[in-house]
Amino acid sequence: MQVEGNGEESGITNRRFALPVDAENKSTTFRLFSFAKPHMRAFHLSWFQFFCCFVSTFAAPPLLPVIRENLNLTATDIGNAGIASVSGSVFARLVMGTACDLFGPRLASAALTLSTAPAVYYTAGIKSPIGFIMVRFFAGFSLATFVSTQFWMSSMFSGPVVGSANGIAAGWGNLGGGATQLIMPLVFSVIQGAGATKFTAWRIAFFIPGLFQTFSAFAVLVFGQDLPDGDYWAMHRSGEKQKDDVSKVIRHGITNYRGWITALAYGYCFGVELTIDNIIAEYFFDRFHLKLQTAGIIAASFGLANFFARPGGGIFSDLMARRFGMRGRLWAWWIVQTTGGVLCALLGQIDSLTLSIVVMLIFSVFVQAACGLTFGVVPFISRRSLGVVSGMTGAGGNVGAVLTQLIFFKGSTYARETGITLMGIMAIACSLPICLIYFPQWGGMFCGPSSKKVTEEEYYLSEWSDKEKENEFTSH
Amino acid sequence: MAIHTFFFVLLLIFSLIQSSSRAAKGRLFTDLENSLEVTAKPVKDGVVLEGGKDVVKITWKLKSLAKVDAHATFKRITVKLCYAPISQVDRPWRKTHNEISKDKSCPYEIVSKPYDMTPQSLDWIIEPDIPSGTYFVSVYGIDGNGHKVAYGQSSDDRRTTNLFTVQAISGCHVLLDIASICFSVFSIVFLLVVFVKEKRKAKLEQRR
Repeated sequence: MQVEGNGEESGITNRRFALPVDAENKSTTFRLFSFAKPHMRAFHLSWFQFFCCFVSTFAAPPLLPVIRENLNLTATDIGNAGIASVSGSVFARLVMGTACDLFGPRLASAALTLSTAPAVYYTAGIKSPIGFIMVRFFAGFSLATFVSTQFWMSSMFSGPVVGSANGIAAGWGNLGGGATQLIMPLVFSVIQGAGATKFTAWRIAFFIPGLFQTFSAFAVLVFGQDLPDGDYWAMHRSGEKQKDDVSKVIRHGITNYRGWITALAYGYCFGVELTIDNIIAEYFFDRFHLKLQTAGIIAASFGLANFFARPGGGIFSDLMARRFGMRGRLWAWWIVQTTGGVLCALLGQIDSLTLSIVVMLIFSVFVQAACGLTFGVVPFISRRSLGVVSGMTGAGGNVGAVLTQLIFFKGSTYARETGITLMGIMAIACSLPICLIYFPQWGGMFCGPSSKKVTEEEYYLSEWSDKEKENEFTSH
Repeated sequence: MAIHTFFFVLLLIFSLIQSSSRAAKGRLFTDLENSLEVTAKPVKDGVVLEGGKDVVKITWKLKSLAKVDAHATFKRITVKLCYAPISQVDRPWRKTHNEISKDKSCPYEIVSKPYDMTPQSLDWIIEPDIPSGTYFVSVYGIDGNGHKVAYGQSSDDRRTTNLFTVQAISGCHVLLDIASICFSVFSIVFLLVVFVKEKRKAKLEQRR
């Protein structure tokens, strides 16, 4: 179906798009199996690049039983490396939003991916625990491509479908954390079979995620474009977008208490997911005396649930909103995330392998759906500072992972199984603040909308002062 | 109705956990008799041994005061490499456990052969995939059912004497380092080239 979009500036007229578009040339539909330029192509390029970054960031955990012997790592070293792998992108996620604003998501994301690829390649040459911690730290920065993915999808897809586009892109990217647990042990055994010793085979294996990461960035640069009408710099849209005061945007973002609650809650669904990606293969290997490949397959099934669980969470949020509005979104989010916490606490207590796998699978669906449900609420918290609130929430996810690994999975203070149980309990506790989120126009979990009858428009306009509203009005 | 199903499932899961945690207790180390005399001496004394190169001379024989009737009971002898306590610090995957099936302190089997009542000796070349660490050697007597019935070790009870240290191969290779550098440089150069191209394109558009 070919629809003519409205060509706007730079003399570009009569552009033809494969998908139906709105006035801004954003696609109004989402066709999963299409690679049509520019919308669906952008979707596939961006989720694949994010997927490759996840594969690289979590490439070490499934091979830890071999790496820890080669580098003589202690449990403390492993814990520190796990923390390092997720802490770099706390800062990177906060900065990525601004980078996308300045350079466009195509250049910003490819720049990050290409500049962190050397850390993955260099993993092949490390000789000490410090080297291990450093490569995991720098490779982990690439997880900030989450922000560019969401930004790019929001530029390409319009309202009714942007939730699905964002949810599927995020979910399929997170899939990398599961896929890597399958890929790395497999690559390792193939290389070992070809004759390499154990301690050389794991090093060669790291070239696979490195090459995929580089290749995905190439594809984004060569085949992608920032906006339906072209690229950022080429288009130079200074006249189109009202320039907002960056400091005011940031201030409105960080003074909105709801953004802090979503950041904390995301820290205990996405943060839990990142922590599990880091520890689960070693946990199954050590506790149940499994082979490396078997532990990898079980660990992978946790992350692979992202294929449907995270998008499913987003879709479920939209479904609840249709029947119960924002209160439905909040209730669904709190129940799903708390159930995830309960299952996590249970997982650590189980001695049987079969039961552990079953509980882990159910737990993975709940925790990943909770991530999808989080971003069902985030877009509504602020219009003016959407980027800041999204960035805070995204960064909060990584902070949760850092804190959890610091408290429960560093060194030998807690046995791994105890750590998993305590993490579940902490997730239950940190999901409680969701009950405090209140929108005057829609209500909260336990309270109805305000008796003052605040409208949606009034809520979002309250982010602008009267003077700013006047300036907006007079400048047109 | 959904609540009832939910609680039933929860109850089922809890009862399964209870039953699985009351698993049967396995055989213990303390049940084994120390009836084998073992020595393990590196051919190069007083230095750190290299994996894949150096040799350790291992000998074992039945103690004269052994209580167990070895000739009747032992069918096989297994010689294992075990971690000394210093290599187990902050490494729970190498922990010593009294329950034999849960013990992880002796993961490497040096040799396993049928029992021979004469004193045995072996010149063992340290395998290349043995990690860096401090070790001693344990020998186990295994009965017809495959169970360990007796043991001996080259160190004392506290595992602090007669230890030897191994330095593993690093696994690093010059070719790998060169490949890393090449791919990394290629990635960064491609990025810079694209940035320069985009900036030029933007300048051209601005001039139009």
